[in-house]
Amino acid sequence: MSAAGPPLLWTEGLTRSFGGITAVKDCSLEVRTGSITGLIGPNGSGKTTLFNLITGIYAADGGEVYLRDRRITGLTPSRICHLGLSRTFQITRLFWDLSVLENMIVPVRQVGLRALLGPGMYRHEQERALVLLERVGLTHLKEQPAGKLSFGQQKLLEFASVLMSEPDVVLLDEPTGGVNPTIIRFMMDLIRALNGEGVTFLVVEHNMTVVMELCDHIIVMNHGQKIAAGSPPVVQQDPVVLDAYLGV
Amino acid sequence: MSLPPTSVLIQVAIGGLLTGGVYALLVSGLTLIFGVMRVINIAHGAFLVLSAYLAYWLFTLLGMDPIVSIAVLAPLFFVLGVLVQRYLIARVRQEPGLLVLVTFALAITLEGVMGSLWRTTGRSVRTAYTGEVVPLALGDLTVRLPIVQLVGFAAAVIALGVLYLLLTRSDLGRAIRATIQNPDAAQLVGVNVALVRALTFGAALASVAAGGAVFSLIWTFNASSHEAWISKMLSIVVLGGMGSLPGALVGALIIGVAEAVAAVTITTYLSPIVSYLILFFILVFRPQGLLGSRIREA
Amino acid sequence: MLPHLTRRWPVYAVLALLAYPWIWRAPYFHLLGFDTLLGATMAVSWNIMGGYTGYKSLGHSAFFGLGAYLVAIAANRWGWNPLWSAPLLALVVVAVALLLGWIMLRTTGSAFVIATIALLLIFRLLALNLRGITGGAPGLSQPLPPWSPEFSRLPFFYYMLIWTLVAVAVSAFIVRSRFGLGLLAIRDDEGKAEMVGVNTTLYKVLAFGLSAYFVGLGGGIWSYFQTHISPVFAFDLRIGVDMILMTMLGGLGTVWGPVLGAFILIPARDFILFRFGATQIHLAISGALMLAIILFLPRGILPTLQEWLERRRAPASAFVGARLMTELQDESAATASTPAGDPHSRVRPAPR
Repeated sequence: MSAAGPPLLWTEGLTRSFGGITAVKDCSLEVRTGSITGLIGPNGSGKTTLFNLITGIYAADGGEVYLRDRRITGLTPSRICHLGLSRTFQITRLFWDLSVLENMIVPVRQVGLRALLGPGMYRHEQERALVLLERVGLTHLKEQPAGKLSFGQQKLLEFASVLMSEPDVVLLDEPTGGVNPTIIRFMMDLIRALNGEGVTFLVVEHNMTVVMELCDHIIVMNHGQKIAAGSPPVVQQDPVVLDAYLGV
Repeated sequence: MSLPPTSVLIQVAIGGLLTGGVYALLVSGLTLIFGVMRVINIAHGAFLVLSAYLAYWLFTLLGMDPIVSIAVLAPLFFVLGVLVQRYLIARVRQEPGLLVLVTFALAITLEGVMGSLWRTTGRSVRTAYTGEVVPLALGDLTVRLPIVQLVGFAAAVIALGVLYLLLTRSDLGRAIRATIQNPDAAQLVGVNVALVRALTFGAALASVAAGGAVFSLIWTFNASSHEAWISKMLSIVVLGGMGSLPGALVGALIIGVAEAVAAVTITTYLSPIVSYLILFFILVFRPQGLLGSRIREA
Repeated sequence: MLPHLTRRWPVYAVLALLAYPWIWRAPYFHLLGFDTLLGATMAVSWNIMGGYTGYKSLGHSAFFGLGAYLVAIAANRWGWNPLWSAPLLALVVVAVALLLGWIMLRTTGSAFVIATIALLLIFRLLALNLRGITGGAPGLSQPLPPWSPEFSRLPFFYYMLIWTLVAVAVSAFIVRSRFGLGLLAIRDDEGKAEMVGVNTTLYKVLAFGLSAYFVGLGGGIWSYFQTHISPVFAFDLRIGVDMILMTMLGGLGTVWGPVLGAFILIPARDFILFRFGATQIHLAISGALMLAIILFLPRGILPTLQEWLERRRAPASAFVGARLMTELQDESAATASTPAGDPHSRVRPAPR
């Protein structure tokens, strides 16, 4: 695990309610550059809502989100993506009718009219996509529509595709949910390798083994609030955290 | 564009309120369908016109007053609605893109059939009391209220009242409201959501059938009228908030009055544009309308 | 021999179309041909928004009517010949579409659909009421074409043939471009597209504007053809319905689907009109046909055919992903498996 640097992504007092329910309440947390930060908490603690707030899908009722000293609260999701933040979804989202390769190409940033009118993909883009596909072992399926892949393959594809936009930080929403141990292991190795190459991760996970092994920093949420943060051993001993999980 | 005297404005505004009441009846089903099924029933206008035609023929051939014919038309359209939902809409539920085309296709099929059967002649029901007015004294002002509008308003109030009671007092109503809030949760507590959808569509068409009967008294129509009317109805529900019945009522009253006032201040011919423009502005600045939830996709 | 034929079929089709008016010489056939090509052009145009992007505009006849009126007004006031003014004024239609699209596309698909209907009605209402400009309900006439009545429809036929080919070429270009890939992504999952950095609003607005071009052009030429136009006919819901029906029949979201749909539907409808006479029946049939397609052939003829053919060849055959304009052949052999430490496999470019 790489040594963590200055804060890369942080929130200040983020709040969001739906009707009468406060899903995220005054949440301030930070993700340091080069870290693999875990985000854990019981079901319904607001983790996915937090992700949606950070990535611009939901508008915040209060508070701010910052990415590298830049306020990104209220920006559109595509703008936030251009600024270097990517995200996967708890329930895998892909372009089902497009091929695996096309799924890899869509996230690549296009600038300018000429690029827009250009061919579907340039040689160098395709090469980069193929290299990534190779890393996740999906090269042989590159022409297949995403909808035909198995569940595990889809998760890998989603993961690989969000890397195509060359993000500085990637938000993973339960990347190991529902996949077999081999793929879990594979993903963990991949995340570590990418982290070594300079990608920061914020990972929502329920699988405690994965979290404790993979993450160098953990944030714990409950009822929409941050209740604890620290290194894995610290968090594991924290009575507040234990209470949150056992008390639910 | 000079402002007419206050007396005229008041007269017009009250007329607008009466019209708005009828509008509320016309759109109540539309917003209900959206609330429960997230379907925009573009055929709502066509069903309205169909009911109006049937009311017209019942009157012309059997002498049945349109208000009375509601007793026949409402149950008929209820059954029709259940069948349409069950065999047409439910089959295409999975593809939202196709869903909108289904109701659109239904609308133009209905228009085509009605047009082939009954040509382009403008129809309207002329009863003994059509054209008669009731004077109403307000202070030293006398407002003239056309009887058909009063009758229409009364019928609308009663029909909406029935709908309201249905929604708040009956089991079906509870189930409908639960499904509007959260279909998955409703299903988990034992609501047969598929049945609720079918029955809701039926109820919605029953209400538009009642609306159509009233409609035939007040307005002239032919098969292609549904185009203008569905747009107005959609404007009303978008303004009030898709899926919100109180919103539909508020929206209907606002547009009823706005149109009436526009008719005397700008020009009668251009007054329908009021509802279309309101639609546009709402979609731009506040898509959820006044009281509704956002038109969320799945 | 046969593969060679099937590959070059567009060429042969065009040749056949060029020869068509000389084989069938009666003016009726020229009219039919013109109608069909006009329908095809506009369906291809609509497909850009409805097929590729997935936003089905129900009121696209608004742009048809707009084009018709712009051309008629220009012909009357400044003597502009529609043959060159229609393509030019269609750009004005595009500008209007871009502006309206910018307003209408901030919302979701359902709201957009409602707005398109309202749009059509607004345009119709304006055309009926701005009598000074549009001539009001009676409509507007323009000068007759300068060529002799003998040729009457022939020039229209060839003119439309050119534009049909242009429209198809543009459509094919779009679907193979990066822009087209973005549109398809939007259609597939707009939220996801937004998340991965696609500026969905921009793409949608551009698609909407583009989809208005050939429709506006079609309207302009149609007004020249008809010589006299009126609001009720220029802003007829049916015109938009036809665009949708043809596209759906042939294959939503394909390049040639709308053309195929037009070539089937318009002659068929003409035949029905000929036999039954009334035009309201035609609307009922259109609606019923649309329902039938939605229920039984939702993807249209071409995609269904393609699927059927693929299934016959081999169950594990590759997806026909030939959308992308790549001269690049199968790269997997060239790109050898690289270990994670290889610099080429870095996610991000190495720091300079």
